[in-house]
Amino acid sequence: MDDILCESRTVNKTLAIINTSGLIYTYPGGREPSLVDVSLTIEKGDYVILTGPSGCGKTTLCRCLNGLIPHFYSGKLEGEIKVASLTVSEHSIYELAKHVGLVFQNPENQLFALSVEKDVAFGLENLGVPREDMRARVDWALQMTGIYDLRERAPHELSGGQQQRVAIACVLAMKPDIMVLDEPTSFLDPLGAQKIFEVIGDLNKKLGITVILVEHRLDLASKYANHVIVMDEGKVVLDGKPLDVFDSESARLIGVGIPKATRLYQALRQSGVYLNRVPVNSQEATLLLQEVLTRDRG
Amino acid sequence: MSVFEGFRFRRVLSPIHQLDPRVKFLYVCAVFGIAVMFNQLLPLILLFLIQLPFVLAAGVQKEWIRSMKGASFLALMIFLFNFLFTYFYREYPIFPPSSSLLEYSLAMTLRFIVLVESFSIFFLTTSPDRLGLALEQSHVPYEFCFAFTTAVRFVPVLAEEAQTIMDAQKARGLELERGNFIKRIRNYIPILIPLIVSAIRRSLELAEAMESRAWGATNKRTNLYVLKIERGDYILAVISVGMLILAVYIWLFMREQIPSLIPLITAQNV
Repeated sequence: MDDILCESRTVNKTLAIINTSGLIYTYPGGREPSLVDVSLTIEKGDYVILTGPSGCGKTTLCRCLNGLIPHFYSGKLEGEIKVASLTVSEHSIYELAKHVGLVFQNPENQLFALSVEKDVAFGLENLGVPREDMRARVDWALQMTGIYDLRERAPHELSGGQQQRVAIACVLAMKPDIMVLDEPTSFLDPLGAQKIFEVIGDLNKKLGITVILVEHRLDLASKYANHVIVMDEGKVVLDGKPLDVFDSESARLIGVGIPKATRLYQALRQSGVYLNRVPVNSQEATLLLQEVLTRDRG
Repeated sequence: MSVFEGFRFRRVLSPIHQLDPRVKFLYVCAVFGIAVMFNQLLPLILLFLIQLPFVLAAGVQKEWIRSMKGASFLALMIFLFNFLFTYFYREYPIFPPSSSLLEYSLAMTLRFIVLVESFSIFFLTTSPDRLGLALEQSHVPYEFCFAFTTAVRFVPVLAEEAQTIMDAQKARGLELERGNFIKRIRNYIPILIPLIVSAIRRSLELAEAMESRAWGATNKRTNLYVLKIERGDYILAVISVGMLILAVYIWLFMREQIPSLIPLITAQNV
């Protein structure tokens, strides 16, 4: 057992699950490229947050990851992109769909069946999975996302948050290695968003699914992430650990929604109070402040 | 948006709802065939009454009465036209010699009502999901079945969107209920254009989502649900076929002996 674990760890380290180099893409009829020289490496099991101002090419990058670009959208794609050791331009979308699950922004437009479980089964039906298998995988996906009780309801009767969890279950049932979520919470209220983040965090932690989350609400999302990529005008401008990225000057200038705890840290630093670490959420900030306060008293 | 209310299928659990849509369709076809066979009042009244227990067993009386009300105007037109035309053209060949003009017109109207009745039972008790499944299992190409269920799924969504657009345009001063008939129709153009544009956008997003979930990966598509013919289905199938055989028998050998009703009633009253 230990051997297998060690082996998988070494494989993890050496094998990037997503690798792009010099990616340039122009939409059909577009004058300027939407992606400019994007080179990225994402490792297996990573939880990546992809952020940046609107129109910076985040969605375009997501579309590249599961082959919608170049197969569904024509246009000009240059450079190389490999996902789960498949070259995207050489494999069809349905082949890639077994490895990469894409969840879209608007939950309403990605659910098309008349009952939740039928919708979750849609991808498996397309792949021709036998029925007994399908039943088990649908139930499993429903349980993982906490919507097993809703399985017989019609999707359009559900709240936005529930719909988005259905959309995640739909993708999860196909057992992908990578899950790409394109602003999954932008139609949701804070509580619904919180739930979605918890579900995604679980998938990453318990199942080891590589997560790429496009998000503006970094306060809630950054708790789980171990890798942050910031894009601006089609380029990758920052790429690294959450703390380093959030604390950098350029992130603030681009207008990334830096977590409030990190901003507090920066404000304190300016007024001469140094915390031991950079916090990304309020719990961490509280602990660090307590440390500083007790130290000062002592 | 009361027009769309009728499309909203109400999920009810009743023995009729559980029946296989294919068998129910067989039943509808049998009723259709029988209704077209006879032009006398008595068999059509029987046919009308036979179906009432189905409505009650399914518990869809309210919806059923609403759909019958919707058909009443057409029924009235059919009655008037039949009455007037047969009055002027008495030599019309299928006119049964034994019955009166009034009875013939009534029978034609009832024939229409019986057809509406059986179709409304079918659609009120069959969920679009199961209907799509029945189509699929009857070897209709999957693309058509998918288009059908998706269309049904998006009716309430589009209705809601139409309402939003209407509110938005009204807030900008669009007056829908103004002017003569033609003007009123033209008033709806600022509603229709945004609705169509957003429907096209929506369909693009849908296509993206379908592609991302392995649409078209294999020709041997599997299905989460399977329709199975059960005991109730056999019973309904036997009833339908039995009714049809009986009707054909009567039509062949006893057609002339079917009494016309109006002379019967008036004779008793006198």
